[in-house]
Amino acid sequence: MAKKLMKGCEAIGEAAIRAGCKLFFGYPITPQNEIPEYLSHRLPQVGGTFVQAESEVGASNMIYGAAGAGERVFTSSSSPGISLMQEAVSYLAGAELPVVIVNIMRAGPGLGGILPSQADYFQATKGGGHGDFNTLVLAPWSVQEAADLVADAFDLADYYRNPVYVLGDGLIGQMMEPVEFREDRKPLKDLAAKTWASTGWKGDRPRAVINSLYLDADTLEQHNRDLQAKYATIRRDEVRWQGYGLDGDYDVLIVAYGTVARVCLTAMEELREQGIKAAILRPISLYPFPYDAVRQASARARAVLVVELSAGQMIQDVQLAVAETRPIHFHGRTGGNLVSPDEAAAKVREVLDGRSQEVRNA
Amino acid sequence: MFERRITIVVGHFGSGKTEIAVNGAVRLAAGGTPVALVDIDVVKPYFRTREARDLLSDLGVELVAPAGENATADLPIVLPRVRTLCRDTSRKVVVDAGGDDTGARVLGSLSDVLAGQAPDLLLVLNFRRPFTPDVPSAVAMARDIEAAARLKVTGIVANTHLMAETTADVILDGLRMARETADMLGVDVRAVAVEEGLDREIAAAAPGVEVFPLKRIVQPPVGPMNLKVPRTGPLFVVR
Repeated sequence: MAKKLMKGCEAIGEAAIRAGCKLFFGYPITPQNEIPEYLSHRLPQVGGTFVQAESEVGASNMIYGAAGAGERVFTSSSSPGISLMQEAVSYLAGAELPVVIVNIMRAGPGLGGILPSQADYFQATKGGGHGDFNTLVLAPWSVQEAADLVADAFDLADYYRNPVYVLGDGLIGQMMEPVEFREDRKPLKDLAAKTWASTGWKGDRPRAVINSLYLDADTLEQHNRDLQAKYATIRRDEVRWQGYGLDGDYDVLIVAYGTVARVCLTAMEELREQGIKAAILRPISLYPFPYDAVRQASARARAVLVVELSAGQMIQDVQLAVAETRPIHFHGRTGGNLVSPDEAAAKVREVLDGRSQEVRNA
Repeated sequence: MFERRITIVVGHFGSGKTEIAVNGAVRLAAGGTPVALVDIDVVKPYFRTREARDLLSDLGVELVAPAGENATADLPIVLPRVRTLCRDTSRKVVVDAGGDDTGARVLGSLSDVLAGQAPDLLLVLNFRRPFTPDVPSAVAMARDIEAAARLKVTGIVANTHLMAETTADVILDGLRMARETADMLGVDVRAVAVEEGLDREIAAAAPGVEVFPLKRIVQPPVGPMNLKVPRTGPLFVVR
């Protein structure tokens, strides 16, 4: 197929359709409205169903129902709307239902503003809802990667029977880039038939009941052990990251994800022209976080610099990885302001000449 | 292009209206023409003309768009000065309308002040955008916009591109489809917009059509993967 020029939101919607998703339930919120807008046109063309729910609470429970019936389904929202969905996310994880949730993050807290942010890292990676559960979290840095990761997210959700987030800042949703959808894409995993799905009992198998309620303590503890075993497999098998400049020498290791990593890449190339050596490690999976990769890459640097569109959230995972073996510095912007390449480069220089203060107790 | 007193830029969401309107206003101002750029884009939340407010002011373009906190609100604000400017014959006016018939509806609400002013209604077409892949869909979109705007399309700007991956073939293929669309609508292709760098090649390959060199002004700081990103402001690149 010829390349199209698409907004991130449009590419996400098209990628979901191409992944075989025919159901979307959601509620409008800026800056992700182009996802439901796109799907409201496209889903009827492919025999699918688009429903604008009465609220995010409604939408998130509709995806619970559709996933329980064995259908591929997804929803999208932006930060405040994702907060409203957190009860359902916990239920989805408890009932082991495969869904894809796209969060095009805007600046918070509260209603905040409509401009880009990465301040929902904790909510996505540490479980915004109640109980011991985890969700896979994938963070694209381009429109093409957003489309590719949405396709992967559906496979991972089905394989692990678990909610998967695709986490993009507002720019990922709103900016336009060339996108190609490959016709020959193969599923990421061997996917079994959904025999657990509640599709109408005909006496030929045990009744399939979708549930997260276990009143007996031992039964619920066993359910939790099974979930934890699944999360351990995810942490072992699903770590994704990319490195830039890690093969050569470097003094500063930058850890950044999403569009911020692209800004840092520009800064890194400019710094190298001036003889200042930085490298970048970009986590693509935020859960599972690439702890081992960050630990190994940081061992070859004098210092680590974390750059985020937040007051500092991923920095805690970097601290866990580095385990006080290297000084960690931080540069973040909030409110919808972006990090510029100049800012990132200036911070690297400050780290090296001692003007930047190391972060303690983040 | 931009010869008439009022030029209104319409088209599909993401077709490049804002860049063409901004470039047109800047070009008029550079030639010494008093010009106001009117932002009535009530559709898209990012990458609006208001991101370039300081740059436009420096270049002598009066920007008529929500300011202060309202600049970054997702509210359908149309400033009262828009109606004044439509009647003010002392200056030229370039209007950046929102995408699709949804965005063009604001023009419909201005039809009483636009009547008698004979505005140019330029339709911007990028055939690499998902909802206008071919001539029939572009014609259908033009008809929807005309109905909502209560105005007829008077010309077409061919703006088919793939950002940093644009080639001459992409542009020329889009120009061919723009000409077919223009024939169906009974108007002319007024210009082919080309990012600086490819403009000479296109001018040689497509004689008889104005090449409108485009400088990308309102865009994110992340840039294409393999290209240098220029200096950035707090939110969007203005170079």
